[in-house]
Formats: sequence, C-alpha cells, structure tokens
Amino acid sequence: MTQPSEMVNLSYLSETEKDFILQVLQRDEELRRAEDRRIRRLKNELLDIRRRGAKRGSQRYSDRTCARCQQNVGRLHPKANTCRSCNHLVCKDCRMETSMGGWKCNVCIKEAELKKATGDWFYDQRVNRFANRLGSDLVRISLRRKPPAPVNKRESTGQTLLELSQQADQKARRGQRSPQERAKAAGGVSGSPDLRDQRSDTESTEQMSLSSYKTDSKRSTPNLSRRNSSENLSASPDRRKLYGPSGAKVDTLTVPVRSRDHQHSDSEGEPRLGNRSAGSADESDAIFKKNPRRLLKPSDYSKSVIDLRPEEKPEEGNAMGDRSKSVPGLNAEMEEEDEDIDNLVEIHRLTTARSSLRSGASTSTLGSMMSIYSEAGDFGNVIVTGEIMFSMKYDGKTQILIVVVKECRNLAYGDDMKRRSNPYVKSYLLPDKSRQGKRKTTIKRNTTNPLYGETLQYIVPESILLSRTLQLSVWHHDRFGRNTFLGEVNVPLDSWNFDSMMDECLPLHGKGTADVGTYKGELIVSLKYIPPSKSTSGSERRKSKTDEGGELQVWIKEAKNLTAVKPGGTSDSFVKGYMLPIKSRSTKRKTPVMKKSLNPHYNHTFVYNGIKPEDLQTTCLELTVWDREPLSSNDFLGGVRLGPGTGFYNGQPVDWMDSTGEELSLWTKMRQYPGSWAEGSLQLRPTMAKAK
Amino acid sequence: MTDGDYDYLIKLLALGDSGVGKTTFLYRYTDNKFNPKFITTVGIDFREKRVVYNNAGPGGTQGKSFKVHLQLWDTAGQERFRSLTTAFFRDAMGFLLMFDLTSQQSFLNVRNWMSQLQANAYCESPDIVLIGNKADLSDQREVNERQAKELADKYGIPYFETSAATGQNVEKSVDTLLDLIMKRMEQCVDKTQVPDAVNGGNSGKLDEAKAGGRKCAC
Repeated sequence: MTQPSEMVNLSYLSETEKDFILQVLQRDEELRRAEDRRIRRLKNELLDIRRRGAKRGSQRYSDRTCARCQQNVGRLHPKANTCRSCNHLVCKDCRMETSMGGWKCNVCIKEAELKKATGDWFYDQRVNRFANRLGSDLVRISLRRKPPAPVNKRESTGQTLLELSQQADQKARRGQRSPQERAKAAGGVSGSPDLRDQRSDTESTEQMSLSSYKTDSKRSTPNLSRRNSSENLSASPDRRKLYGPSGAKVDTLTVPVRSRDHQHSDSEGEPRLGNRSAGSADESDAIFKKNPRRLLKPSDYSKSVIDLRPEEKPEEGNAMGDRSKSVPGLNAEMEEEDEDIDNLVEIHRLTTARSSLRSGASTSTLGSMMSIYSEAGDFGNVIVTGEIMFSMKYDGKTQILIVVVKECRNLAYGDDMKRRSNPYVKSYLLPDKSRQGKRKTTIKRNTTNPLYGETLQYIVPESILLSRTLQLSVWHHDRFGRNTFLGEVNVPLDSWNFDSMMDECLPLHGKGTADVGTYKGELIVSLKYIPPSKSTSGSERRKSKTDEGGELQVWIKEAKNLTAVKPGGTSDSFVKGYMLPIKSRSTKRKTPVMKKSLNPHYNHTFVYNGIKPEDLQTTCLELTVWDREPLSSNDFLGGVRLGPGTGFYNGQPVDWMDSTGEELSLWTKMRQYPGSWAEGSLQLRPTMAKAK
Repeated sequence: MTDGDYDYLIKLLALGDSGVGKTTFLYRYTDNKFNPKFITTVGIDFREKRVVYNNAGPGGTQGKSFKVHLQLWDTAGQERFRSLTTAFFRDAMGFLLMFDLTSQQSFLNVRNWMSQLQANAYCESPDIVLIGNKADLSDQREVNERQAKELADKYGIPYFETSAATGQNVEKSVDTLLDLIMKRMEQCVDKTQVPDAVNGGNSGKLDEAKAGGRKCAC
C-alpha cells in the first residue's frame, strides 16, 4: 500500500490553485487546533477520574472492595459484578449502562467515551492500516537500527501538506544562507536529526553529545509545535546557540520536521528505503535548510517574571555531577542491571523532594532559604479532607493569570490536639517552585471552612502558561511549630478552559495520592503479534530462532511530556522492556538513550521470539522509562505494563498482572488482530508494583 | 478558543465525478441554499456544520443527544486533482459517494470510486452512502432507480436520490451517514474489552476476531 503523502505531488498546480488550496488547509488547521485543545481537556478529565480511585498494583486493597470507590462490596457475586472491560470488581454505584446493553465501570465508560470523543476509535483503526507497509519494513530496518521516521497517529493529509508548503516557503525565503549556516549544514551530516536517529547503538557518546543540541528540535510535542507552526519564526543556528542553555523551553517551541515529509518533497524521488544511508546526507542538509526553527523571542523572556527555573548547564559533566550528588551513598550499591523499580521509585521520590529543595537553592537568590523553609512542614500527619473553591482567568493582552481563591470547606484539623486549623492557601505554577513563583493568601484563624475571596496573580506569557500546572496547597499555620500540610490540588493549565469563569470546586488530596496519580507523561507504543504459522520468509530474518512459537514486536515510538528528574531540566532517557514473569537478561530489551529531551523519539523495536498465542494470556510486557545517569543509578521516570490484566499467573495471584484501561485494551487489540500493528498512547505509571 | 464546544468532530467527504453536484449538495446541506452555477472545485475544500445527534438509548428509550461538529470535505472530481483528493480519503470517517442521475457515465464510474475508497480510506469497508443527485431533472434522467439500488445493495450501503436544487433527501442522506458512523463508533469502543474468561487463555479468540474483522477492524 502506498502512503498517501508520498503520492501527493503538487507540482502540476498553478500558483493561484496552490494559494487556494493553502487557504483551505489553513482553515483546516484552525479547526484542528481547536480540536487538539478539546482533546487535551478531555484527556485530563479522564486522568482525574482515574486518580480518584482506581485500584493500582502498587496499593494494597482487599478483594472485596469496589475498584472505584474502595467501598466494601460484601457479598456481591464476583462474577456478576466484574466490569467486563477492566475485570475489576465494581459496586453498583460505580457503573453505568452502556448503549449496547450491559454495563461497565465508570472508568471504562469514561475511557470509551473518550475514545469516541477524541476520534481515537478512528485513528486507531487508520494507524493499523497505514502503518502496515511501514511496519513490514520496520523489523528489517530496526534490526539494522535504522528506524523510519516517526508517524503521528493523528496526522492528517491537510496537515502534512500544510507543513510541506510552509517548509517550501521557508526554503524560498531563506534562499540565501549565511556562511556559518552553510558550514553548519555541511557539518550537519554528523549531527543532523535524521542521522542521529539512525545512529547505531554502539556509537560513541561523544558524538551523541555533539549532536544533541541540534537534535532537540525534532522532538517537540506535536501539539505545541502545531500551535506555533503558523508563525514560522526562523532563526539561525547562532541565535539558537545563544538561547541554547535554557534547553527545556526551546525544545517545546520548535517545529518537528519529520524526515518523511522531506522525502517526498525531494522531487528527485530517491529510492525510498533501498538505500537510505546514501541519501541521508542530502536529507539532513535539506532538513537544515527547511527546518523552521521556532525560537522564544527575547521579549517573551523579559515579560516572564515567574520563569526562573534553574538553568540547565550545557556541559554534560556538570549536570551529571550535580545530579548524582542527590542520591548520596547509593551510587555504589545500585547497579543498573539489577535495579528494583520500587526501590528506585523510593529514591526517585527522595530525589524529587530533594531536588525541589535544591532548585530553590540553586537559583541562589536571597530568598532561597525562605523557599526551603516553606517546603518544610509536616506531611502526611493529617488525613486530608475537604475541598477548595477557586476560579481562574487569563488575560492574553496583559499576560496576567488571576487565580481567585474563594474558600475551602471541611478542612482537616491542623492541630489535632486543640482541634483547630489556621489555614492559608499557597500557590505555585509548577514546575517552578521558587520563591518568586509562590503566592499566598492570608491566614484565617480557627476555622475549617475559611472564606478567602483573595486574588493570586501571575504575569506569564501564554506559551509558558500552557506548560504549567497550578498547584494550590492548603496549610495550617502554626505560630510556634512547623506548618502542617492540609491538602492540595494540581491543575494542569494546558487543558484549562479559561473562557469559563465558573467557580471550580476540587477535592483536596494528599501528597501521597497525588504522587500515585501524577501525570508522568505518555509512551506511544505499537504492538504486533505474528502467529507461528504466518512467520515471514526466512531470508529477512536469518538469525531468528523461531521454529516454534510466534513473534511479538514492540515498536517503541516515542514518549511525551516526561518529567525531568530536576525540575525544569531535560532528560537523557531510554526505555527498557521485560517479558514478565521472566525478569532477566533473556527478556530484557533496551532502546538507545535519547539525549536531552522530554519528548524523545526512540523509534526502536523490541522483538520477542518463541511466543505462542496462548502465552499472550499469561505474560505481561513491562516497559519502563529511565533517565540515564552514567555516574549513579538511573532514575525511574515511569512505566507501563501491557498484559491481559488477569491478576493471576499459574493460578496464583500476582501483582504484576495489573494492566488496566489503555494498557489492557492495547494488549487485547494486538491479540485480536495478529499480524497488524496496534498502536496506543499509554499514560506512564508513576510507580510499578514489585514483581514477585 | 470557544469553538471546541462540541462532543464529536466527525469528518465526512464527498466524492464522485466532476459535475455531479458535490459542491452544490454540500452548500445546500450547510447553508440550505442552491447555486445553479457550475464552479469547478480547486482540489479540495470543506464546509462545516454543527448538528445535534440523538442517540437512541438502550432498549429504544430516549437516549442522550450530542453536539456534533461536521467537517464536510468537498473534493474535486476532475482527474487532474485525483492524487491530491485521494490523499484526503484516509482522513474521513464516512463518505458521500455521488453520481449524477442524468449521466450514465458518472454512474458507471461509481465502481471506480468504490475501489479508490477501499484502497485509500481508513479501513477496507468504511461507511458510505450512495447518492444519485439531480433527481429534480426527471426529463433528462439516464439512470433508473432500480439499477442504482441494486448496485448499492451489492455494496451493502444505503442509496438516496437527492436534489440539491429542491433539497430533496439532502439532509436525510447525510443524517443516515452520520448515524452509521456513530453506530460504528459505539461498536468500536464496545469491542475493546476482555472476554469473560479471566483465567486460562483460549486461543480460539483469535480466529473469532478474524471472522468479524471484515466489518470493523478496530
């Protein structure tokens, strides 16, 4: 099957026709942007519901409780009261009837609704169809470590064409390049995004670090980049270098250019996959010419009063040395090969807790000590209750975000002995936790239902605002002792509907539960199972040992919105896979490390041989994302488990068979359609249950 | 920012020979107006319309209603735009396959359009309605209803005779297509579930899925 975008050749169109079509595509782009925004909002809603009470492998729970509300269900018959979508026991209150008859639990209902509302039901099918051709070449390519260009599931023809025309535009405008640029372009052969992706595993790390700053441009989040792509601000590499140190921000504002787009823009029409390495020099050159780099304007900077994240040091060594210190005494003991995830998660927690302190310190402002102090306090001594009511408004002209804290209700007692609370509300725009980013309300004395009606204000450009999370935490002020934590809410702003001036009322949650439900980013994975009989001809896979059993291919495409270990930093990440229950070298697979990106494109395929169809019911694919720390243990960034989610192995209950939701449905989809790719975007779990 | 105020974005696409009336049909549907002039479409265009879709609840009861934003892609029927227009097929969730009741040739080409769809749409058997347009020009009619109905039955798709000039069946045919898509959507999400057997794998499931795979491959 041919790829539609390959076939599109617009050379026969007249200029007026091109202009006309471009206008249509631009209208389409507007519609798509509104749609993207809507989808992000919906996805966050789901996240919220999940957070409220799904059973997680990491938590202990009784067999006789509802998976959603955690209430005891008593004598309910397990068979009749198990959600047929997620296999959890669910009480009568936490389920809804489906339009097809029968019922599902409210999380599965919400997931199904989301699938419809986001159009994923459609895109998931389309991906299976149009990734096929790419997919069949994939194994061969992947074995040679030359993955093809990443494919965005939602990408539409209109979008592709629009991007193409913009690139062409860019090319025309930038017909004359400065000598430096030309030199760069020539040198770009060693460090171009495209080549970088094709880089072999064994290549030296020096080369990787050489190329890393340029390659960042390729892995920005599609959403953000799409939003910016219309503006088409270009800049020379020199300017880029100038702003280079603030890595994180630049990353999210660049436009990704898929090499696939370039290939068909090359009118010469090189043989597409036959000899890519020969063509790649040209390609990388082309990328350099056309890549519409979008940079943060200096004016954006000056307006941002709260953006004081610690600057990432460009030198590798410094950053690593710094980070490794945050886990004192553990460097020697922990070995990457045998890391235990839960241990590492513990360490990760420690690290993040510390690093938030460190970030305060490393800004080295006068107020940094205050910042540290304010982070100290009693956590977890109080059972969090109650809710907070607030509203939010953003004025795009003045770039002012106004948060009006209305009131809190039913707060816990900060001082249990005297049964009293002196609550105040504190806010941050995460990940910024510096003192400059902190706002507080006044303290209300001796009440658990404080009325504030106070305004907390931030001046922040919209582009930055959308990448932040508003954290509102409630504290009990103790005049003599430490302040006591009474609960918090975290509101991701990218999905906030700023048009609605409605008062929002959100239940407070504790630090601990927040951690369980925290958004750690997503992993985009495609799975294909090839049953034994249908194994492809031996010529391509001469090294295969699959005489019996099928083959499971796991195409690790990319991760999105990973959380940096250091707030505001980036990450050198890789993905590791195990086929549980076997957690040893034999099932371990790893992707190459993708440097300095929170949206890395791994584009790497794990192949598991000798897997019989029935094995798919008893195994579980564990994928974990790690931040590579050459001088200490790697940091856990999140993970997923793909499996049937039965909870059992060999008749014994095990806690690693705990796939739910999208994890489960992706696995099911793969099993239903052997030989075709099943793609899914999976929320990373912030913690993995311990495998027995 | 406010325009994300809908529940579903459904993308439809009209295709068929040049001059069968795709653009006028869509213009009638979205604006309820008729433009008798023939202006050939340059490559690709789209119109939008917001509709309310009423979902029948379980057991035929009154179900929920949803706000649906329709993006109706209009394609050029001319051969020279073919590679461009077929590239847009994969982005649509449903198709209005149109021919001209006063042109036998446009009807004969329906087969070609069908195979184009099968090759380029998001799945092998997407939701399609067959539309015979210009029903008001009864004196110039070249395709009789029985003929067209038979073809539609062969493909297992609904058939409508419409007129963009009078508005006859225009709304009805789009509504039918929307209904098909919404039903398929429900099926797709409902299928993504684990079979009852919690323990003990039954590999027979794989075959079962294959049998049903023709209709909907999600």
